[in-house]
Amino acid sequence: MVKEKAYYLSVFGVDEALLAMLVREALSRGGNYGDLFFENTLYGNLVLRDGAVTTGGSHVDFGVGVRVLDGEKTGYAYSESTSRADMMACAKAASAIAGGMPMAVDSPTRAAFRGVPNPEADRYPVKEQWTSRSMDSFLPFLREVDAEIRSRDSRVEKLTAVLSFQETDVLMYNSLGELKWETRPMGNVNVSVVFRQGTRVENNSVSRSWRMGAEMLGPSLIADIASAAVRGLDARFQAGRPKGGRMSVVMGAGSSGILLHEAMGHAFEADFNRKGISIFADKMGQKICSEDITIVDDGTLVGNRGALNYDDEGVPGQRTVMVDRGVLSSYLHDRISAAHYGVAPTGNGRRESFRYAPIPRMRATYMESGKANPADLVAEVKHGIFVDEFANGQVKIGEGDFTFYVKAGYLIENGRLTMPIKDINIIGNGPVALRDIVAVGNDLALDPLTWTCGKEQSVPVSCGIPTVLVKSLTVGGE
Amino acid sequence: MEIELARHCLEFALRNGATAVRITLNKTVTDLVGILNGEVDKVSHSLDRSLQIALFVDGRYGAFSSNRLEKEELEEFVRKAIGTVRMLEEDKFRRLPEAGRKVKDAMTGMEPGLYDPASSEVDEAFRRDMALKLSLWKEKEALEKGFTILGEESEYSDTVSDMVVLDSEGLFARHSETSFEIVTEYTIAAPDGRLFSGYWWDASWRLADIDPESCARKALDRTVEQMNPLGVPGGKYNVVVDSECASRLLSPVLSALGGFAVQQKNSFLADKLGEKVFPENMTLVDLPREAGRMGARLFDSEGVATREMPVIDHGVVKTFFLNTYIAGKMGMEPTVEDSTRVRLMPVGECKNGDELMAAVGEGILITGFNGGNSNSATGDFSYGIEGFFFQGGRIVHPVRELLMTGNFVSLWNELSLVADDARPCMEKQIPSLAFGSVDISA
Repeated sequence: MVKEKAYYLSVFGVDEALLAMLVREALSRGGNYGDLFFENTLYGNLVLRDGAVTTGGSHVDFGVGVRVLDGEKTGYAYSESTSRADMMACAKAASAIAGGMPMAVDSPTRAAFRGVPNPEADRYPVKEQWTSRSMDSFLPFLREVDAEIRSRDSRVEKLTAVLSFQETDVLMYNSLGELKWETRPMGNVNVSVVFRQGTRVENNSVSRSWRMGAEMLGPSLIADIASAAVRGLDARFQAGRPKGGRMSVVMGAGSSGILLHEAMGHAFEADFNRKGISIFADKMGQKICSEDITIVDDGTLVGNRGALNYDDEGVPGQRTVMVDRGVLSSYLHDRISAAHYGVAPTGNGRRESFRYAPIPRMRATYMESGKANPADLVAEVKHGIFVDEFANGQVKIGEGDFTFYVKAGYLIENGRLTMPIKDINIIGNGPVALRDIVAVGNDLALDPLTWTCGKEQSVPVSCGIPTVLVKSLTVGGE
Repeated sequence: MEIELARHCLEFALRNGATAVRITLNKTVTDLVGILNGEVDKVSHSLDRSLQIALFVDGRYGAFSSNRLEKEELEEFVRKAIGTVRMLEEDKFRRLPEAGRKVKDAMTGMEPGLYDPASSEVDEAFRRDMALKLSLWKEKEALEKGFTILGEESEYSDTVSDMVVLDSEGLFARHSETSFEIVTEYTIAAPDGRLFSGYWWDASWRLADIDPESCARKALDRTVEQMNPLGVPGGKYNVVVDSECASRLLSPVLSALGGFAVQQKNSFLADKLGEKVFPENMTLVDLPREAGRMGARLFDSEGVATREMPVIDHGVVKTFFLNTYIAGKMGMEPTVEDSTRVRLMPVGECKNGDELMAAVGEGILITGFNGGNSNSATGDFSYGIEGFFFQGGRIVHPVRELLMTGNFVSLWNELSLVADDARPCMEKQIPSLAFGSVDISA
């Protein structure tokens, strides 16, 4: 969503002359690049619990971050006030990183993105602004979610549904004289359900998230959430754990994209590689996996949770091919790492809020479809598991060891899905797992869940993958 | 602190239709210096302020916050917030805590003894000096015996935080503290090219407690120790969990005792109050009022006074953590919002993890977790683990890519020994632990 420039200058109470003066102050003790990141976020939330919407609220987060780069070193400070005096003090604090005379802006990778925001090219067009709606207009949506889920399964004992949304006005200015602005929307629905069957209790949670306005709330979303909330419930009550150990793992299309995010994506973030501590630090241009595999990090998907018109350094959002038919073709860059490698930044400089300096982060990370029939991948496995619901993941960058937690899946015996399984962790090594992907399905799906990446700061991301067969991973069990 | 502004907002809300109000005012100042490979790489300064306002209006409730602390802006914010609350459904259980439960001995913020006046003496040069002491990069060549240091990252930070809670029935509670934190992380390469990473950290409210030189050396030692890992077959093992990471196994138990989880039946301990769920040797107490100890708090987020209380007593579940609202919904007596500074009592005579290994003989020493999660309704869990295989009470070799899977009730019933080495820098005082018969997948 893009409004007129004057709106953003007014929200933050600044003009372009003041912006230029602040950057000059920030660079007064040295450094070769400086930028300002203004943010005004309004959050709203409503909670339905025990059949009634009895909790709600709103939250305002407002401020400006000032960054100074002295080569690859960073000085950073922020202020929750945009008064001239507070911002000047902030610029002075950020300037502490540098100790000499200002240097010329000499890096071509920092000087390539002039031009004003284009509403025609907006990746999150909004039909209905969240903040234009009265809070009480959202109550029926939550009540209908509650009723629809309860109508689909009588085992519902407790249900909590949360609608949260935000609209973030952003204004960015840098020492190259570039001024960028936009408004970023986000809508999230999270539902947690507790089911009882006799004496057994099971839970399930469902989330949906898009960079959209309030138009995302409607009958199709209610049906989708209700369907997901009760999906596989009989299996969940029957589920057990497999005997643990190394085995083949078929990862279902969609949320199995967590494999890419944890096992590969973080290791492709260029800050780790610039510092030489990623396991892929010396692999650029090399074949690292099957030529059936192409992995993309994409900020251009309209309405996607990971979509960006601009990253948080004012670099245009873009589609970055990290692995091109098996060959490592690009890291994910912010301005610092791009300058280090002598390439253009890829629009991955992101931050949680004005309180943080940007670092390379993923957006929507997915693997392109392959040629295999997904059903054939299961049929190929003599002993293994099929998984397609996940809770969370983690990676150790240096070693490349990753894990992800499986909420639900099935044992595979002699090419057939048999016993339902749940609540197991899977562990593997990123480069090894990438090499061990032996088949890629033709069914790429992007996952609509509320994925949030927590590398130092929290940012919204999404992921996707076609069904893939990983030859061997270690699976938790009893 | 903008205490007068908070009082003004409180009065303004009452004048504009709120029947009760609670305001929490926070202010935090943090300075940080980061070191990369022996050189200053990052400096940052931050000042955060926020005003949180809980509004009770016509039997309805809402929670709001803003960091725009100008008077006119806040008045408009509060006016809109009251309008929002009026749109919600009634909830008869929303109310302020009874006066008798509220804290009365937290007037200055200094009562918990967590404020170091030395914080006011810290300047930019001191921070850089402390941060540089977290680096061994100058000794790199001498240190590299059988490995190469690829990267060293360190951070020093200091924080001053202040919080005030007020309500419309006369509550005034304040908590002030300082915090000094250090961390160093290494990534090294073994001769065969395999990479290993490790870290160490420390924290205290008192600057004099922080020792940057030993932090860096311990971080490097912990990294180098991981080299040359070997596999172990999957199966049932005795397990010793180091005090650095042992709280990971207790946190889900505390979450299961939390009011919202219990009331929503999303807890494997939902109907277990007063029952002996855990073993006789498991006793957990909450000690929130130990002055000068990390995590000490005199009141919870509602302003309710904390108190020393048993959580699990010889295996019996003694309390749920119930705030005023959840207790009302459940028809139970309220306690406090959450655990504060729990301590697991020692079992046996072992002082630390080494003595636990000697007592246990053979098994897996867990020094860190890699991912994993648990099912809050059933207590089932599965975690990635890293550490060492030990035999004859001594470490034999590192292990890697292992998983530990089970159920929390079953796991804690296999608790055999608890050492007495909880780290002073941690809020949860959980020493090294020894369990028998744990499922390890390899």
